[in-house]
Amino acid sequence: MLQRFLNPSVLAGISGLELVARTVVEGFVAGLHRSPDFGFSQEFAEYRAYSEGDDLRYVDWNVFARTERAYIKRYRGETNTLVTALLDTSGSMGYSSHGVSKLDYARYLCASVFYLAINRQRDGAGIIVFDDEIRHFVAPSTRQGQLMRLLHALEKCAPRARTDFAKPFFHFQQFLHRRGIVMVVSDFYETPEKIVRAVEPLRHKGSEVVLFHVLDPREIAPKLDEPALLVDMETSDSLEVSPDYARTGYRVRIDAHIAALREQSRAAGLDYFLIDTSRPLDEALREYLSLRAGRM
Amino acid sequence: MGFLAPWFLAGLAAIALPIYVHLLRQHNVIPLKFSSLMLFEKHTQSAVKRRRLRHLLLLALRVLLLALLALAFANPFVQRDPAAAASGARIEIVAIDRSFSMRADNRLERAKREALAILSGRPAGGLGQVLAFGATVQLMTQAVDDPAELRAAVQAVESDDSRSSYAELARVLRAIAQTSKLPVQVHLFSDMQKTSLPPSFSDLQLAPSITLIPHPLATASKANWAVESVTAPRRLLDPAKSRVEATIAGFATPAARRSVSLAINGKVMQTKPVEVPASGRARVEFLRLDAPHGFSRCEVRIDSVDALADDDAFRFSIERADPRRLLFVYDQRQARSLLYVRAALESSVEASFLMEAVAPGETANLTLSKYSLVLLSDAANLPEAFEAALKGWVRTGGSVFVAAGPGVAARRRVPVSGGVVSDLRYAPREGARFRTVATADTAHPALRRAGRLDNVRFYQVAGIEPGDARVLARLDDQTPLLLEQRLGAGKILIFASALDNVSNDLPLHAAFVPFIEQAANYLAGGETRAASVTAGSFLELRAEGGAGVAAEVLDPQGKRVLSFAEAAAARGVTLTSPGFYEIRRAAGGRELAAVNADRRESDLEVVPAETLALWQNTGQGGVDAASVRESKPWAMGWYIMLVVLLVAMTEFLFGLRYLAGEEAS
Repeated sequence: MLQRFLNPSVLAGISGLELVARTVVEGFVAGLHRSPDFGFSQEFAEYRAYSEGDDLRYVDWNVFARTERAYIKRYRGETNTLVTALLDTSGSMGYSSHGVSKLDYARYLCASVFYLAINRQRDGAGIIVFDDEIRHFVAPSTRQGQLMRLLHALEKCAPRARTDFAKPFFHFQQFLHRRGIVMVVSDFYETPEKIVRAVEPLRHKGSEVVLFHVLDPREIAPKLDEPALLVDMETSDSLEVSPDYARTGYRVRIDAHIAALREQSRAAGLDYFLIDTSRPLDEALREYLSLRAGRM
Repeated sequence: MGFLAPWFLAGLAAIALPIYVHLLRQHNVIPLKFSSLMLFEKHTQSAVKRRRLRHLLLLALRVLLLALLALAFANPFVQRDPAAAASGARIEIVAIDRSFSMRADNRLERAKREALAILSGRPAGGLGQVLAFGATVQLMTQAVDDPAELRAAVQAVESDDSRSSYAELARVLRAIAQTSKLPVQVHLFSDMQKTSLPPSFSDLQLAPSITLIPHPLATASKANWAVESVTAPRRLLDPAKSRVEATIAGFATPAARRSVSLAINGKVMQTKPVEVPASGRARVEFLRLDAPHGFSRCEVRIDSVDALADDDAFRFSIERADPRRLLFVYDQRQARSLLYVRAALESSVEASFLMEAVAPGETANLTLSKYSLVLLSDAANLPEAFEAALKGWVRTGGSVFVAAGPGVAARRRVPVSGGVVSDLRYAPREGARFRTVATADTAHPALRRAGRLDNVRFYQVAGIEPGDARVLARLDDQTPLLLEQRLGAGKILIFASALDNVSNDLPLHAAFVPFIEQAANYLAGGETRAASVTAGSFLELRAEGGAGVAAEVLDPQGKRVLSFAEAAAARGVTLTSPGFYEIRRAAGGRELAAVNADRRESDLEVVPAETLALWQNTGQGGVDAASVRESKPWAMGWYIMLVVLLVAMTEFLFGLRYLAGEEAS
């Protein structure tokens, strides 16, 4: 099937996160019309043979009528789930090589997820914006106007300060009381061990944690024509880098970093999904949801 | 070596720019913001090293380009010092005056002795040249280094009795300096006559490379008496009416009484005393020249003992001759023209013609060679045989005057000349009812005294098409009135009207007599020559196209002037020596030409020292401006600009290669 995805730069030209989110979600939902039931709250349903003592309310009588056997419908989730996005707004998220910064891309991603969760799934959604501190917090809710509140929070995001996973994630544990889905959106410029160590406790509370690793294509494969003095956007440190190193040594190290983060997060039961900001958002989101559905 | 615009050398500071770009700027890498340096390491040294090595050639080219550009604008030059350049090579010229005045006090011999002394003291191997000059400059040698040849050339210089001209000498010296491109040192041996200076001092201008060293043979003016001029008739027809007038001049002389003699063919005929004022002139008149028939060698002489004895006598020649025969052929209807022409010629003093009038029908047995001139007065019906004979006679030097009246116009053809008559033009009936002369060449001998034929009324004029004839006068309607046509060695003068006082009223005007007299004299060949000419004058021997018939010229010593080849073809001859030249022209006729030295040479006043110094200063070492002009620097700016162009192209190619390499990497 031919699927036309939305270029991130096109999304950047759309004013208003709601419209962005609707455009993205409606786009990929329309592309997934054969499986419209994919969603965060549709966790799983299974049939098992009735046994004594089971609640008769859960017997599927339609099946019994056709097969004369009693099967019990089982649901993994109780009701609607809660989606909480942890958005990293540190200085490094402001990096851009093609018009859409990582923070913009992350905002579109969050907005799309929120739209999908609230408008399509009737789930609750919340957001925590952090860098080295918690900058903004909107508690997950299904209340009327929640989407607007979330989008407003996203609008106010601006890159600043440094990333520090340890300190804000300690506080997240206090905010996240209920089980749900926690999506951490960051460029993860920290050692994988520290990241996993900071994020892992969220998993312990029964939440499903997804790490969205947002990277600019030039961060994955930098292009330097001549020696350049690179200035760190968070620390303002500078370093003279040769094109040769950018082509060879750096590529090795970033690949190793991504691979280590993927391995260690999975080892800790965390989902990891790498997103290149040059990639169409709906395509990326569709791929992630497909993978998630397949896993369940 | 120097710079015409040295301040442009400040542009060399621009060399710092490529050095900065290539060397210093390499360390100033571009600062780029990056999300995190967590995964980067410092790794630059080797790349910078490699890049510096790779661009060194490009840097060198750019530095060279800028340096050459600054140098080109500074415009370096090389000073070519003419003296230094030719320290070893120069031409030493010995110029010897051989004019008439050099005969005084044996000046020419002294000049040659001094010239030989100069040549003896000349360093061996150097170039030398000998010139002899008077009115013209003769190159006795080319620029040679053979002392013997130079000495022989000096010995060969002889007086040519012409008037010396320093302007001509300066012109030749300029030409030598220009062609040789070597410094020229001129030793001038001359009596430094003031009269040899040109009217304009600028004609004496010497080239800057010329150094003039005068060797004056006279330092002060000398007293000199001379027979300055003689006015005498060229042709002696009536001795009783003849008169000779001589002018005796004294140059820097005191008042004195001189005895003046007239000698004919070596025999003193008359002697008269004359009082010559101090540095002044006096006139003497001799009457009744009793000369024999034919040419006589005449001379007016004064008794004088001065420095220049050769100008104490003035030669002239006269010809005692019978009247020349003139054949007048006229139509019977033109009888009045005979009357007017005869009256005109008989009343003339200078012209003497014995006129024989015949009708066209009476011309059968005439011998044309005995006539000096044939006048056809509207004679339209000439017998063919006579006209053919007339043409042949004209071709060999005879002359014809044709009056083209109504008869000729009716035949539509001018006799002898064959000219076409288009019509017979009448004066208009309205207005003045006559035509007048609008333009006339009064310089022509036939019209010199007759003038513009003013107030003459023309009623009938033949419309003659000029063809190759020269139009001497035109009427106010542009009809040619008087034409001259050459036929072989002879001349035909065509008057486009009659001489009968019917077609025009010319015979009634005062201009008629001089017109007829001068025209007849001109056509008969005795009108122009003076009794004497100046040495160096040119004498015409034959008309154009008259080659084949030999002419003969004997100089005063009786030697042939012309070789056989020259005698058959030479148009003229230059009369160089004072004395009597015997001449026999190609068209026939003998002549005796008296030649005298230019009497301006008799004035022995010398050039003032200041003038001489000024002349010297026009050459080397004198006027600064001239030196500056000669030492014009040789600027190299444009040549360097060419090199700049080459280097720029090379830099461009290297730059392209560099860019291509960068893009490939």
